[in-house]
Amino acid sequence: MLIRRLKENSIELTEIEPIEAELLRKVPSVCDTGGDSRAETRLFSSPADSSERQFLNDWDEYVRPGLRHLFLSARKTVEADLEKLLDRPGRLGRLIVPRAHGDAWLNTLNQARLILASKFDFSDEELSMHEVPKSFSRRDLVLLQINFYAAIQERIIDAME
Amino acid sequence: MAETVVEPKVEVSLGTPWNVVVHNDPVNLMSYVTMVFQRVFGYSKEKAQQHMLEVHYKGRSIVWTGTRERAEFYVQQLHGYLLLATLEKAE
Repeated sequence: MLIRRLKENSIELTEIEPIEAELLRKVPSVCDTGGDSRAETRLFSSPADSSERQFLNDWDEYVRPGLRHLFLSARKTVEADLEKLLDRPGRLGRLIVPRAHGDAWLNTLNQARLILASKFDFSDEELSMHEVPKSFSRRDLVLLQINFYAAIQERIIDAME
Repeated sequence: MAETVVEPKVEVSLGTPWNVVVHNDPVNLMSYVTMVFQRVFGYSKEKAQQHMLEVHYKGRSIVWTGTRERAEFYVQQLHGYLLLATLEKAE
């Protein structure tokens, strides 16, 4: 898959392999925490220590719903963009993302990576490992998925600069 | 002749300064964190990278210090980008 800025207003993803298309289409569903407490804790981390009780209460009441809405809205933008992914059998896929949606993509890919990392409880060491594993357990494949989404994030950041 | 009223001098206490602290997170990309610091604080790429590297190598960086209200605003912005950010009293 190649990712590049197309003119001023869009980002083009081309030569998308079928497996890449599948992983891309999974992004919105990965972002559903399914109520997993580790993933929820990471997405909505505490903004202060427990001595700031009033601030934390206000945060939970007023800020957290706004953040939840922001994350959901980003996810919906990505979901709508992905519906335009063209990938006919035997041909590589192509997707044009409006540059204005770049932030939503970065946010959603980040959500996906954070949720997967939390759910599978990856250590810092594992997340910074770049070796290809000798065998592929489900955990190894999830790590590859996290790194695949990271690579897309990097390219989108480049394309947005 | 109108009497001149002299307003009493009001002392404005600026109060304790507050730090906005960003904590290390192995998932967030270095390039992404740098981009977020540039966007949220308007930092140059060099300054944003310095803070990002401090987060990466030291585990945390005080990315901004100032009024409580502004610190809360920045923490909220950083959480919107999914960074691990907290506010704390400056020493």
